[in-house]
Amino acid sequence: MTPVEAAVSHTLIRLLDVADLRPETLDLDGDLFERYGLTSLNLVLLMTSLCDETNTELSRITDEDLARLRTPRDVAALIELAGRKTPAATEA
Amino acid sequence: MSGAPDIAAEAGPVEPEPVVACLANGRPSLTHSIAFHQPGGRLCLSLDELDRQARRVALHLTRLGVRPGDRIGILARNRLEWVLLDLAALKIKAVTAGFEAGKVETTPDLIDRYGLSLLFTDQQPGDRWRGDPRIQPITRLLADIEGIPDNPDLPPVTYDPDDVTTIKFTSGSTGQPKGLAARVGSIDGSLSAVQALFRHRPTDRLFVFLPLSLLQQRYWIYSALAFGHNVVVTTYEMAFHALRREEPTVVMGVPAFFEALRKDIESRMTGKGSGGSAQAARDRAALARTVLGSHIRYLWTGSAPASPGLLAFFESCGLPIFEGYGMNETCIVTKNTPAAHRTGSVGRPVPGKRVSLDKDGVIIVHSDQPVNSAYLFAAPGESERLFLPDGGVRTGDLGRIDADGYLYILGRVDDVVVLENGRNVLARPLEERLRTCPAVTDGVIVGAGCGALQAIVCASGGMADRGVIEQHIALMNRDAGRDERIGGLVIADEPFSIENGLLTSQYKPRRNAILARYGRAIAPTKGDES
Repeated sequence: MTPVEAAVSHTLIRLLDVADLRPETLDLDGDLFERYGLTSLNLVLLMTSLCDETNTELSRITDEDLARLRTPRDVAALIELAGRKTPAATEA
Repeated sequence: MSGAPDIAAEAGPVEPEPVVACLANGRPSLTHSIAFHQPGGRLCLSLDELDRQARRVALHLTRLGVRPGDRIGILARNRLEWVLLDLAALKIKAVTAGFEAGKVETTPDLIDRYGLSLLFTDQQPGDRWRGDPRIQPITRLLADIEGIPDNPDLPPVTYDPDDVTTIKFTSGSTGQPKGLAARVGSIDGSLSAVQALFRHRPTDRLFVFLPLSLLQQRYWIYSALAFGHNVVVTTYEMAFHALRREEPTVVMGVPAFFEALRKDIESRMTGKGSGGSAQAARDRAALARTVLGSHIRYLWTGSAPASPGLLAFFESCGLPIFEGYGMNETCIVTKNTPAAHRTGSVGRPVPGKRVSLDKDGVIIVHSDQPVNSAYLFAAPGESERLFLPDGGVRTGDLGRIDADGYLYILGRVDDVVVLENGRNVLARPLEERLRTCPAVTDGVIVGAGCGALQAIVCASGGMADRGVIEQHIALMNRDAGRDERIGGLVIADEPFSIENGLLTSQYKPRRNAILARYGRAIAPTKGDES
């Protein structure tokens, strides 16, 4: 698991508040919405928290990017991609 | 009429200020600002600079052939250009029609259906409209006004209370949205009433993230320009991000937004001690201030019912949250305010509004300055169902008025579930109790022509939570009257959302749509299988 995937798992578990869901039991390829019941507001919270944690500029993530997200692994990949495009993150 | 008294504002009459005329002709504050968090980043300009740019856009619209009374459509997510077009339209007496981005497709049909002169959109050109000169990319607007001199003088315009500035669209439960033309008198009256009650002041910074296609969201920009305060505009996607950075004093949100914030704050509290201890309460309040910023004066909510738990949570964090009531057809009707607040109610009528209940307990609203007396676009009979001949609006909401004049919303007339035995059951209180189950993220109660009530819920853990939810329902049933017991449960295969058509744009569950999708799957809960 990459550091960003670990951050996604940790934040997702916190937001979902599902009993017995732990980093080791979270399926990185599970469907965020159908399997884990993520709401659109929670998706926004998830992305905001992750951008804060990784010093990634949220405004670089488009609505189309968000619409394509299906799994925790997709989220991690998007954060990593957006982080590479964020000058502040590069400088840090 | 029932025996319940009519109630009117206790604050007394408020003479409406000519807000719309002020926006059209005035020169706003140099010292206050509007900030945008939008795709591409943050930008901030003084209200004076905003007004100067709006004047240039007004001239640009005129050059494109827009005349007083013409309609221009705006179909875009919240951004600077949205606000500029809206203000520019006011300056030349054009009428705006705001369409919710993500819900409506940019097509020539849209232009024809609503009689638009131009449509500004942030959607990519599609084959059906590429090259149509009536459709303008909103992202090109700032480049298009580059050649127009700064701060041009425009001929002054006058507004009569019966003039119309915009068309509001109401998301009905089914079919095409209804269109309602908003009178200037209603806009002036509502903004003046809110200002009299909340006294937004120069140090205030109001936070707006719901779509600007909703007129009431644009009100806060109008308020900033007319009364002199700051405002922050962002998109739904950037709302949580912007909150922490902008230090607003007032946050305008729907209950679902504040509920998500509450869950976020509570989840961050894990491991910080017992939820009931004084230290935990202080930690929770500090965390809330971190998430919402440290300058919050109050939180504003409405459009959908807020649960008692939600209101209590923010109150316990030292963040006053004021629930109110209104609908597109009435504008704001009642509001809890810093001076008159009763938790659980939606407050007392604002100045210029009167509330009564009809014989069925349905809330009727009369306004000194009504929004209008009929829809502009609606199926035959829709206007007559809502707008009464005496100028009142039959809201379709069931209410109760207490001895001090506070209004309580009991549910929608169509929230009344009729059982096989003909008994009527009010679903909303049961739905509120259902949602207190930790595993339930949303849910509705339906009748479905059955002998007992049925619950259709979204669960954070999906089917794995069935046992927990059944236990919760069993506890509810233990305390309930015979007709209020829940006899069937369906766990939805995906959360209710705006995208799948199971929530309205204001996050209210669409009961009929949910029933249509899941009604066949209704199964008895364990306690009722025998």
